[in-house]
Amino acid sequence: MRRISSRNAITAIFAIAVLSLVSACSSSIKDTSATGKITADTTGTVRVLMEGVPDTDVVKGLLAEFNKEYPKVDVMIEPIAYDQIRDKIVASFQASDPTYDLAIIDNPWMGDFARAGFLKPLDDLISATSGYDYEDFAAPLRAIGEVDGKVYGVPFYNYGLGLIYRSDLITTEPITLDELAATAKKLNSSARAGIAMQPQTGYKAFEEWGNYLFAAGGSIYGGDGKVHLNTLEAKKALNTYIAMYKSSAPKNSLNWAFDEALRSVSSGKSAMMVSYNWMLPTLNKVGGVSGDLAGKFKLATMPGGKQVLGSWDWAIPANSKVSDAAWAFISWITSKAGEAKRVSAGGAPARIGVLSDPAVSSTGGGADYYATVTKILANAEPLCRGSNCDEMITAVGTELNAAVAGLKSVDKALASAEEQANKIQTP
Amino acid sequence: MSSLFIKNPEKIRRWNIAGNFILAGAGIAVASPFLWVLFASFKSGSQLNNPTLIAFTPNLENWKIVLNSGIFQSALRSAAVGIITVSIAIIVGSMGAYSISRYKTGGSATRFGILAAQVLPPAVLVFPLLDLAYRLRVNGTLTSVIAAHLSLVLPVVTWFLIGFFDAAPKEVEEQALVDGLSRFQAFRKVVLPQVGPGIGASAIFGFVVSWNDLFYALILAPGNAATLPVRIAGFNTFRGVELGAMSAAILVSVIPVLIASFFIQRHLVRGISGGAVKF
Amino acid sequence: MSFRLRMMGPLIMIFLAAIGYPLLSSFALSLTNYKITQRNATKFVGLAQYKDVLQDRSYWSSLTVTLIFIITAVILELAIGLAIAMALQNQKRFRNFTRSFLLTPMFVTPIAVGLMFRFLLNDQLGVIPALLNKIGINYDFFGPSRAIYSIVAIDVWQWTPFMVLLLLAGLESLSKQPFEAARVDGASPFYTFRRVTLPMLAPILTVAVLIRSLDASKVFEYVYAITRGGPGTQTQTIQYFTYKTGIQFYRLGQASAMSYLLLLIVISIVVVLFHRIEKVRAME
Repeated sequence: MRRISSRNAITAIFAIAVLSLVSACSSSIKDTSATGKITADTTGTVRVLMEGVPDTDVVKGLLAEFNKEYPKVDVMIEPIAYDQIRDKIVASFQASDPTYDLAIIDNPWMGDFARAGFLKPLDDLISATSGYDYEDFAAPLRAIGEVDGKVYGVPFYNYGLGLIYRSDLITTEPITLDELAATAKKLNSSARAGIAMQPQTGYKAFEEWGNYLFAAGGSIYGGDGKVHLNTLEAKKALNTYIAMYKSSAPKNSLNWAFDEALRSVSSGKSAMMVSYNWMLPTLNKVGGVSGDLAGKFKLATMPGGKQVLGSWDWAIPANSKVSDAAWAFISWITSKAGEAKRVSAGGAPARIGVLSDPAVSSTGGGADYYATVTKILANAEPLCRGSNCDEMITAVGTELNAAVAGLKSVDKALASAEEQANKIQTP
Repeated sequence: MSSLFIKNPEKIRRWNIAGNFILAGAGIAVASPFLWVLFASFKSGSQLNNPTLIAFTPNLENWKIVLNSGIFQSALRSAAVGIITVSIAIIVGSMGAYSISRYKTGGSATRFGILAAQVLPPAVLVFPLLDLAYRLRVNGTLTSVIAAHLSLVLPVVTWFLIGFFDAAPKEVEEQALVDGLSRFQAFRKVVLPQVGPGIGASAIFGFVVSWNDLFYALILAPGNAATLPVRIAGFNTFRGVELGAMSAAILVSVIPVLIASFFIQRHLVRGISGGAVKF
Repeated sequence: MSFRLRMMGPLIMIFLAAIGYPLLSSFALSLTNYKITQRNATKFVGLAQYKDVLQDRSYWSSLTVTLIFIITAVILELAIGLAIAMALQNQKRFRNFTRSFLLTPMFVTPIAVGLMFRFLLNDQLGVIPALLNKIGINYDFFGPSRAIYSIVAIDVWQWTPFMVLLLLAGLESLSKQPFEAARVDGASPFYTFRRVTLPMLAPILTVAVLIRSLDASKVFEYVYAITRGGPGTQTQTIQYFTYKTGIQFYRLGQASAMSYLLLLIVISIVVVLFHRIEKVRAME
């Protein structure tokens, strides 16, 4: 008798605790505004969580112009560090009374957030906006914001990768993976490494190696939609990657990420790196991080022409109560005119049209640079599609780093990466 | 203060020299990274890539960025959260710790139960805390941050003080009871002064825990009310760590605590000798 | 209500509010398959996740990494901390300044400490390897089987001051008579240290080691800022693993199960250790 009652008590406590948590978390989603028709007197305060980077400063600088067209929409941008955006936005998604009415979403999160119902589909809003020309966004970027046939994110800016090199040291761009390895080896000396690499465990290793995989003629997903990394191309790519790390990368750089590589190249201690295309204007800026080396850097597509793509997208949280005002801002800043202003002011592009606009390409990186960016955006692919992308990328990147560290053989690491990735992505 | 351990002057001297060596070594180990941070805060982006560069024209750009970033408001916010958290923790914790130490209240189950929350990762506790904050309608306020920090600080402070109460001699307190003080009076006027150093140490440590917390402050605090760690972590961006600005911010965050701890230490030493005279 | 319960009252109340509820909720979560991105599909699964976690090799390897980290870090911190605390106690001039200054590493938020050392120890950009290179030493701080000890060194830098703070407070609150007696008896410094200082300091040493160990078990920021768990998974601590599972990969239910299993392990270790200590003390 006593046993049963104590068990009942425990069950009751448990039930209450779970129910309360789940109920508190499942917000009652009721939008009071969304009509799709955005007029100049649309009203609302839009709280936006963004990352504290130059691209955000550019957007901030354009707010006054936006308010000339929509005087009653108050956009409040909260800049925050990359590492914190996701924790914070996920916490806001859980709430019935959200902290943010507009968010920027990194591409690995898109599938999960859209399928979880955290984001509002934007198709109707897009088609109701005249002259928007959604097709003008680079096709691989559009694909990132589309989940299960619906649009959940509109491209904000791209972070496609490319090969950044010192034009005073390299006269012919390498066009095959072997040429890249040979160039790196040739340039390697005691004073300067051939190529600064980023084999840090997890995201970074995969993000960099993915480019090598494409350059070796491989791909991440096969025709069956499954991850195929236990392939000849992948083995060639990883063997080359490891050989380059050993022969041509800076010493002791196993934990290096974006930051270290950038500093190494900008200070002249490495001749090349695979990095985000928009680092080029930063590196070439007179009086900037590169000191005397400013102006000596060039951007190329990866050997073979295809590279890894990343993207930040604008998205409206499903629990946002001012989605009209949020869309007013998104549609303004991502319109052709808004994009031209943003890119001229130094933002990374997302629309193709803007890249050939002479008014834009005469600013910032220059026409050559924008021509290369156009090529990069035309042939690029993200590391992961669908659900559980962060986990899949981390798992693969951990295996890659283990192989570079010599803790695992190339064959074993790739076999394990493929197995884990498919297991993680199977619903 | 004469050395407690040694009998002849020659040995005292040798002992002190050894002690001074240890302190000098520790001082250098502590100071070097801060020296580097100090240099970094005055370096431009390209100078930062040259680690051994010491002679350069100082660049005030980083300091301008940091001082205009609202860092002082953040520091005040962090200080307020820390002080409130620690005050509650010390009052409540010392009472509880005394009861546990002297009367073995709740037995060892209580002793160890207190630490349970100490083992669980914030990653697991944060969403329930957020949920609780919504229920009590304190979400997005610093109250929820203080509550979360109490969950970190209170167990530690209580444990500290249990240790100090255990180590404190009982005779003085028993004498006080004989002299006619109530038990609470004896606790407040006789027992607490005995563990003064312990209270000071746990106050400093509790404050440090609250002052440094990034995770709870990030998720529970309102976005426009960033605490100091959230502000500092903000210099770690998608486009790289802004080392110069972060260095300046680190110095801004360390200096007030350094000064405060200087005065707390001084007060403590005085408190101890004062206590020793009285009892 | 008795005096001792009245003294406990406020503590119990705050505990129930700030700790009890999250504790209970997260325990309830550990019995469900709660996933942040699929919260409508939440089901009660009983102990199934505990079974999964027990069979997860990454979990056990993270525990091992964490254990190695705790043991090396805490032993170093205790030894260095005790030496510094005793030296400080004997110090004559600039006492307050030295004391405050030696505590400063604690006042920097750990994520900033992690980022700071990431660059200080960087082979091309850091001043420490640059100086080592000048005298012909090439050391890979974050290479295979070394990275974990570099993380330990960072922890020692930041948290030895904690030991100093607590042990110094302990030393100062000790009764002076036994030391006087030892002095009069002509005991050697080492003898006094072993027979007088250590036994009297024992309760505080225990607390210091316990609190520091529990705190060290939560090491996260340095790993996050510097290695992300690499090389391979050699620096993947339990706290980083739980964060990844629960927040980055959204599986809060599973992360809760991991944490409660950890809690069970830790509490058993602590209770067994204390039982031993009490026994030894009773025998003395």
